[in-house]
Parts: sequence; structure tokens; C-alpha cells
Amino acid sequence: MTDLAPLRLAVRDRPGMSLPSRRAYRALRPYLYLAPAIACFLIWIYEPLASAFLLSFQQWNLLPTSPRIWVGLENYRNIFNLPQLWQALDNTWYYLIGLLPLSIVLPLAIALFTQDLPARSRNLYRALIFVPMIVPPVVAAAVWRWLLDPRHGIFNLALQWLGSDPIEFLSDPQIAIWTIVFITGWKLIGFSTLILSAANAGIDASLVEAARLDGAGKWRIIRDIRLPLLSPTILLLVMMTILLGAQWSFSYIHVLTQGGPLGSTTNIYYLLWQFGFATLSVGWSSAAAVILFLGFGVVAAAVFALKARLSFYDN
Amino acid sequence: MTIETHSPGVLSPAQRSAPSLENAIGHALMIGLSLICIFPIYWMILTSLRPENRIFSTALWPDAASLDNYAYAISAIPMARMLVNTFIVSAIVTAIQLLTGILAGYAFSRWRFRGSAFLFGAIALTWLVPLQVVMIPNYLLVARLGMIDTLGALILPHFASAFAIMLMAQSMRAFPGEVVEAARMDGANNAHILWQVIVPNLRGAIASLAILIFISTWNEYFWPLLLTRKAEHSVVQIGLQMFITEEGTQWGPLMAASTMASLPILLIYLVLQRQVIGSFMKSGLR
Repeated sequence: MTDLAPLRLAVRDRPGMSLPSRRAYRALRPYLYLAPAIACFLIWIYEPLASAFLLSFQQWNLLPTSPRIWVGLENYRNIFNLPQLWQALDNTWYYLIGLLPLSIVLPLAIALFTQDLPARSRNLYRALIFVPMIVPPVVAAAVWRWLLDPRHGIFNLALQWLGSDPIEFLSDPQIAIWTIVFITGWKLIGFSTLILSAANAGIDASLVEAARLDGAGKWRIIRDIRLPLLSPTILLLVMMTILLGAQWSFSYIHVLTQGGPLGSTTNIYYLLWQFGFATLSVGWSSAAAVILFLGFGVVAAAVFALKARLSFYDN
Repeated sequence: MTIETHSPGVLSPAQRSAPSLENAIGHALMIGLSLICIFPIYWMILTSLRPENRIFSTALWPDAASLDNYAYAISAIPMARMLVNTFIVSAIVTAIQLLTGILAGYAFSRWRFRGSAFLFGAIALTWLVPLQVVMIPNYLLVARLGMIDTLGALILPHFASAFAIMLMAQSMRAFPGEVVEAARMDGANNAHILWQVIVPNLRGAIASLAILIFISTWNEYFWPLLLTRKAEHSVVQIGLQMFITEEGTQWGPLMAASTMASLPILLIYLVLQRQVIGSFMKSGLR
């Protein structure tokens, strides 16, 4: 929408202004409205991004009095030689892979299975399964810590009652990471189910009916009509899982395991925090941050390219 | 969001006989999922109300109620102070993000100007920058401002959010242009059009955005964790950890504190359930 306000009005609005300054004001106006937001992003996101990049070539321990030493690519060489980095990258991968069944596959199955339920009971279920999404992550961590406590937690008491040995959900290096993945997924599952249900309900009923008249069964309708039409939404949820999922696990890791046992639950986000604020190796943390950010860029570009390719389903 | 239901008329006879079993499976699935989602919260509240000598009780129903855990939690950490702090931070962040979001959304929806696509892209891209990537420079900036361990530092980086701006721009683009045009013919300037014409009509969208911002600010943990030195200068999410120590966890007080930390959110949800779900869904459906 271009601004074609009659000059008469402008004159009445700002009688004190000369014509050139009025014109300048007109040209600047959009930027004035944007200024607060842009300033915030420059100060708290873009400038820090640039300084993180610079810090990744320096050696420093966060103390204002100690010198910052330019070390070139040394930080990158060092962290790539650290087993912790590779372990954290591996773990990040496990987090993502482990989250997908909980944030996509199960919600998709539930959304497809519950589409014919009466609206009233569906609304009740919706209200219940959405609760984990709004609970503070630290509260979720505390509650799961209690539920999964090896001696007094209700889960292990139930296991004992069934005659099994208690499971060290959070201190067994083989199990801890999957416990955290489950808790992260627990928070997302209701949300994904709602998104997919809404998208599923939005599918044009006449398409489904036409296929049915052509003799397609329930499964063929799901495979050939519903899934393709849901694919943009699925892709969006995959993207959210990749870009945000592992990141959301930070609170759970910090409250439940502190990255242990033996680094088995440390993902790249937690490693950044450990480098930066536990061992005060600013250079290493920044180098890992740059690597993470570049990796993110690649993933995001790939997802957007895929999304563009799939978008022809989107009417 | 509207979820249409199948009208019975479009089902063929063969399809109509099937639903009873299918519905039963559907109900079973949803009941199972609901239990998984709600039980931890139920158990938290139940444990928080148990007296100390019954804390390890496995009864699924409340057998004895006591507020001892709450009394202990409030006296052991500055709980009231932290709740007030969290409320102040969340309310201020919500107000400011709405303001910057409305102003920026108006600019994007109202004018075509040089660099608008670039700026919109630059704002959307901030979504891709994890907090952990920029935490050290941000921490240093807060330290330079002398604001470590203050509530102000918790608010400052949240002056604007990409999500609020994009949602506002989208709602305002959908706003009927004739109404704006008519207001302008009556001699209204931009401030008047924005605050007297558009904003009152977008009440619903703005309210659900406000709920979303408030909840996510209330729940934030990472940034307060970086900045906190003293409990009484911080938010409630930080306080919870004080009941988890090397020697063991004080389960009763921890559950009481957790309940208090989530109570405001749960109350908002209880009252405004539809709007809360709606606002989160919009964040995903975009």
C-alpha cells in the first residue's frame, strides 16, 4: 500500500512543517515505526553474533582484567580434537532422532485415529494433552526427577511391585539420554497432536469423499491423500524439532543430569554453556557456537528448499 | 481455529458401521495420552499437599492434606519475592513486546518502503539464532552496563520478538483496507489509525499474543540462570533448584515450590484455555 494521502490532510496534520521536512518525515516514517524492534535485534542478536565470531579466534577467560589473545584458528583446531565435542555432536543427533517419534510419528498417528471422535470429548482431550506445553520446563524437570527417583519415585515403585529391579533413569549412562529425550518429547507431544489434528481437519472433505467413491479404503486415503496434504505441516514440525527441540532440552539437562553421567547427556547446547560458563573458555565456546550456527544455517536452508518443493500440495 | 466435523451424510453405509470400534480405539488412545500428560502435574500437586511423614506414600488419591511443605518452601527461599519478580518481568516484557510488535507490524503492513523485504527477513532470521550462540557477548554487554543480577537485565534482550512482529504484520495485512481508508478520509493521522482503529479491532489477536509472551517469559530459565547471583533478585524458576542439593532432594518443598511456580500459568490456562491453545497453535501453523 503506497501512501497517497491528499496533501491537504498532511498540511492540516503538521502545520508547522515545511514541505521538504514533511517529505523527509514521510520517507522516514516506516523506519521510525521499526526502529525499536530493529535496535533490539541489532544490540542483542546481530552484534553479539558478530562478536561471537570474533571471540572464536581469541583466547580469553571472561575476566575483564585478563588479556584477550588473538589465536587464529587455534580454538577450532582444539575443539575438533576434543572427544567431548564429538560426543556432544553425537548426542545432539540422538536427541533429534529420539524426538522425532514423539514429536511427529505418534502425534500423527493419534491425529489420524481420532479425527472421527465427537467434538465434545475431543475438546476435553485437547485441553488435557496441551498442559505439558505450558508448564515451566524447570517444573517439568523437577516433577520428572521425583517420578523417576530410583528409590521413592512412583515409576520405580511400580516396577518393583511388578517384580523388576529399579531402573536408574537418570544415572545410568545408557539410559539417561533417552530419559531426557522422553521428557522433552512429553512437553511437545500434545502440541504436535493439536497442530496435526487441526491440519487434518482442514483437509477438504470432498477430496476424501471423491477417493472413497472411487473405492479407496481408509489406508489408501491416508497414504495417498491425507499424508501428502499434511506434508507441509509435518515438515514444519520436523523443522521445529530440529531447530528448537534439542535446545529445549537445556533446562532438563541442567536440572536433571548436568550433562552426565560421563557426558552421556551433554548435547551441543549444553557443551556451549559448559565451555563458556563452567570452564570459562570463551574462545572454545564461541568457536563451537559458530560451528553450531553454520550447521543450523545448512539445516534451515535444506528444510526451506524441501518445503518449497512440497508446497505445491498447499493449493 | 475451526475444526469442522464430518457430516454424517457424506459417509457411505459401509463406513457408518465401522466407527464404533474405531472410536473406541480413538478414545483409548486419547485417554492414554491424556493420562501421560496430566499425571505428572497431578502427582506434583498431590505430593506437595502430603505431610512429611507421608511423603513417600503411593496412594493415588489425597489421603491427608497439609500445607507444611508450602510454609517450608516460602520460608526457606524468598519465594514471594521471586514470584513477584517473575510477575514484574513477565508483565513488562509482554507490554514492551506487544508495543514493538504492533509498531513494526504496522510499518510492514501499511507502507511499501525500501528494504522492507530485507528487514522482514532479518527479523525472521533471528528465530534461527539460539540463545546459547549469543550468550557470551550478551552477558558481557549486561556486565558492561553494570546490570548483572538485576531484573532489568532479564527484560532488556526481550524488547522485541520476531514472532510478535510477524504475527502482528500478518493480522494487520488481513485488516480490511477500506476501514483504514475511510478513517484517513476523515482526517485521521497514522497514530490515530493505528491506536484507535486497528488495535481495538485486533483485540483478540493481541490478547492471545500477550498470553503467549507472558507464558514464555514466565517459563524462561536459561537467561536468568546466567545472570542470577542472589535468589531475591531473580525469578522463581531459579529458586526451584535450591531444594535439589548434593545431600538429597527435599521432595515435599520442591513439589510445593513447583506448584507455586506453575500455578499462575495453570490458572491462566484454566480461565483462558481456548485462547492459550489458539495462540500456541498460531505459533506453529505459521
